Amino acid sequence: MGEVELSCLAYAKMFLHASQHPRSSVNGLLLSSSPAGAAVCITDCVPLLHSHLSLAPVTQLALTQVDVWCSQTQQRIVGYYQANACVSDSSPTPCALKIAEKIFEQCNNAVLLMIDGEKMYPGCRVPPIVMYERKDARWTLKDKHTIMLRQWEETCSIVNQLFSSGDQTLLVDFDSHLDDITKDWTNQKLNAKIMELISPANGNV
Amino acid sequence: MSSISELYDVTWEEMRDKLRKWREENYRNSEQIVDVGEELINEHASKLGDDIWIIYEQVMIAALDCSRDDLAWSCLQELKRQFPDSHRVKRLAGMRLEALERYEDANKLYDSILQDDPTNTAARKRKISILRAQGKSSEAIRELNEYLEQFVGDQEAWHELSELYINEHDYAKAAFCLEELMMTNPHNHLYCEQYGEVKYTQGGLENLELARKYFAQALKLNNRNMRALFGLYMSASHVAASPKVSAKVKKDNVKYAAWAASQISRAYQMAGRGKKENKCSVKAVEEMLESMQITMS
Repeated sequence: MGEVELSCLAYAKMFLHASQHPRSSVNGLLLSSSPAGAAVCITDCVPLLHSHLSLAPVTQLALTQVDVWCSQTQQRIVGYYQANACVSDSSPTPCALKIAEKIFEQCNNAVLLMIDGEKMYPGCRVPPIVMYERKDARWTLKDKHTIMLRQWEETCSIVNQLFSSGDQTLLVDFDSHLDDITKDWTNQKLNAKIMELISPANGNV
Repeated sequence: MSSISELYDVTWEEMRDKLRKWREENYRNSEQIVDVGEELINEHASKLGDDIWIIYEQVMIAALDCSRDDLAWSCLQELKRQFPDSHRVKRLAGMRLEALERYEDANKLYDSILQDDPTNTAARKRKISILRAQGKSSEAIRELNEYLEQFVGDQEAWHELSELYINEHDYAKAAFCLEELMMTNPHNHLYCEQYGEVKYTQGGLENLELARKYFAQALKLNNRNMRALFGLYMSASHVAASPKVSAKVKKDNVKYAAWAASQISRAYQMAGRGKKENKCSVKAVEEMLESMQITMS
């Protein structure tokens, strides 16, 4: 199938989300601000839950709200990510497959991204990511060569900078928004900080 | 690097009291506990009196959580020296082995505690935690069920079991666990709300009506519980939209949903006041409520 490009912004927030809740499974939605085409450009993500991933009400609520927000901001939901609590197991859970199916109904090159906890240690040279695509009515592993992370080294360094400056605590997921609705699950503030760190030489990251 | 007492301008007594608060309320803010506790132990050990032992325990567990094996080891040594034959200290040694993923060694340690004292609940619970860490959910569930047959009042265990069942998508059994918890903790709004979520997830008209009732109960106990408020809105909307209900039930549920929607709107208006950054989330909620109204009428 087509190529998938993962932006620094999306990757950084996913990584931060998983790091914020090391003892729980976390999940979120992958968004694109690019028009639909053969290639999928994941330009942003919305972190959703860090507890009770398999319960329906909050997931349904979050999907609806993100949908509305996307139509207001010319973005589309193009995928789903999840990091399992059990670090040694990065296979998609039934809940992950279910949500990915729902997204696939609206977006025929949707991706399912599992974060590989075992590769999240500092200095790891390989992105801690496993991607799946829908082929022949099943979710199958995507060919690594079709996945692009531009400026991987710089992305890593940006993530490190976020940790050392303490800005990683700015990340809000939908769960924490429900605990305190003054918190912004679209993460405008954190997005701005990350965009600042991305050097202008990169152009469209 | 400046010390905690310098950074936050606190005295050693305040640090000690903070640790006690975190201990009593069972917080798992391990990085903070390590920062504060390590300084307290290194600089003020002599002033702490007998408190120091429980602080060693607290800091050791937090250190394991933060991969600070050096700190965990030194705390453990102090405790071993002071309480050489203690089961409680042995359990801490076991937890350290767990943190190092030496599960077999940890299990051996816990088994030796249980041989000495078969009623030691802490050791049994650690063994179940090991099963969980290894991803052996069905075994963990089985052991936890056996444990609860003996120790039927253990709230922590019932809650752990409900979490395990939710992860396994066994909602009926999760509901059973939450029912136990609600019976013994009738004023806890979180259990009511979680029960509502489980019922909603199970689906079907009867479960949706039950869910609505429990979301309402949660709100009665805590009217700020946003999950319960949204849950009430969604379950009432679904019941009202069902073709199987009578006109009266439909009317009632439309009323409940409308009430919930107005409460949600109000809450978001108040939250949005003066804060530019959550403008987006406020707008999203408003549009969502509007669009759901349209599909219901």
